[in-house]
Amino acid sequence: MKVLQLCILTISAAYLAGCASVAPKELVDARSAYQTASAGPAQELAPADLHKAQLALNEAEQSFHKDSDSTKTKDLSYVAQRKSEQAGALGAIAAAKSTKERANADFQKQQAAIVEQGKKDLRESEKQSAVTQAELEKQAALKTAKDTADAELKASEQRTAAGQQAAAVQAERARQASEQQAAAEQRTAAAQTELARQAEVKAAKERTDAESQRQQALIEQGKRDVVEAEKRAAVTRAELDKQAALNRAKASADAELKASEQRTAAAMAELAAIASLKEEERGLVLTLSGSILFRSAEASLMPAAQVKLDQVTKALLTIHPRSLVVEGHTDSQGSDAYNQALSQRRADAVRDYLVQKGYPANQIQARGQGEGSPIAKNSSAEGRANNRRVEIVIQREVQTSKK
Amino acid sequence: MKYVSRIGMTLLAVAVVATGLIAGCANVPLRTEKSTSNIRAAEEAGAATVPQASLHLQLAKEELEAAKKLSAKGDKEEARSMLTRAEADAELAITLSHKDTEKTEAREAVERVRQLRKDNL
Repeated sequence: MKVLQLCILTISAAYLAGCASVAPKELVDARSAYQTASAGPAQELAPADLHKAQLALNEAEQSFHKDSDSTKTKDLSYVAQRKSEQAGALGAIAAAKSTKERANADFQKQQAAIVEQGKKDLRESEKQSAVTQAELEKQAALKTAKDTADAELKASEQRTAAGQQAAAVQAERARQASEQQAAAEQRTAAAQTELARQAEVKAAKERTDAESQRQQALIEQGKRDVVEAEKRAAVTRAELDKQAALNRAKASADAELKASEQRTAAAMAELAAIASLKEEERGLVLTLSGSILFRSAEASLMPAAQVKLDQVTKALLTIHPRSLVVEGHTDSQGSDAYNQALSQRRADAVRDYLVQKGYPANQIQARGQGEGSPIAKNSSAEGRANNRRVEIVIQREVQTSKK
Repeated sequence: MKYVSRIGMTLLAVAVVATGLIAGCANVPLRTEKSTSNIRAAEEAGAATVPQASLHLQLAKEELEAAKKLSAKGDKEEARSMLTRAEADAELAITLSHKDTEKTEAREAVERVRQLRKDNL
């Protein structure tokens, strides 16, 4: 008993020792790489790749639990580390793209603001230009006044050569005029500086307008591309609709064909139950015994015959209309001419009855075959009974009707 | 007896198919196409000019060669495992190259905005 307990303790200790084995460096690195990637932008911007890294790490962990120090565990850990680093890098790429898009949007916004400011400056400078022009005109008027004053002064000097007071007055006027002229020259210089500044502003506006036009052209091109793509999509949709309609029509035609085949099979089974039905080269041949249709040497249908022909008509009307040939046959008793006429009248009687019951008249022909096509020997009473008959030949349906 | 015979035939067929599959797997040549194409893609993405990407590109090439040698020696399992290392390093080299490009473009976009602001203050 003690030996058994000792064995259990030894096995448990060995198992625990196995569980507590140290993870290889590759697995430790992979865990660390995954944690780093999870803490970065990959968590939000590249979750699919982070998930792949997690799956790879799980695989490595499972391999570690199975065989802690195997080459496979190390290789799986190595791959998991690379995938974690890749997820981190993809997160960083997504963040960089986002930054770039924001910066580009800012750039365009600022450019638009600059254009607007340029237009505003231009309007301001035009206003200032008008003010400057008015100032120049004022200066010109002052100069004219000064010239007039000079002329008057000169005339006054000539008229009043003597007189200190007049001279003083003249000197004072000259001084004032001189001051006014100096002031006018200063204003002229300021106006010229202003004009130069306006020219610079105008040039800047022209550059801005050109850039604006280029961007407008790019936007127009983008709109045209979108319109073109929409047209192509509309054409594709129309094509798909057409295809779907064709498929529906085909399914409907198939169902119709199947139903028609089923009806035909049912009708044939019904006809086979009514009378003898055989498949021959000329078509399906339904043979009705003459003895149940007509009295001897007569061509009017008996009441029992009418019941039988009602059943035949009903079965034929359930299928797609086919061409019928009603053939009358007799035995060899009597002359050929008599038998030929009798068989024709009997065929006509059957055809008329079928038409009366609703079968299309243009689909039925009646032929008297006389005694020329016996199916049994005329030497015995039984054989002659079999030869007295009416055959309804149901032509085969034309193949194209299936399409 | 009839059923026993049928079960026996089925087991025999399964054994033959399984043996064929195992034998087939053992002779499958080392599929290096993915590693090779990833290495070429990393080179085209400019990994050689990006320090971090360059390191992983070099590792991928060395691991591919090591896998080929292991395969030639008959260590198929170890060769395939080494090949996964090469594939992972080559993919990482591609991603790091793209990361460098994207970061550069983002920096340039930000700088362009800053310059525009400065010029129009």
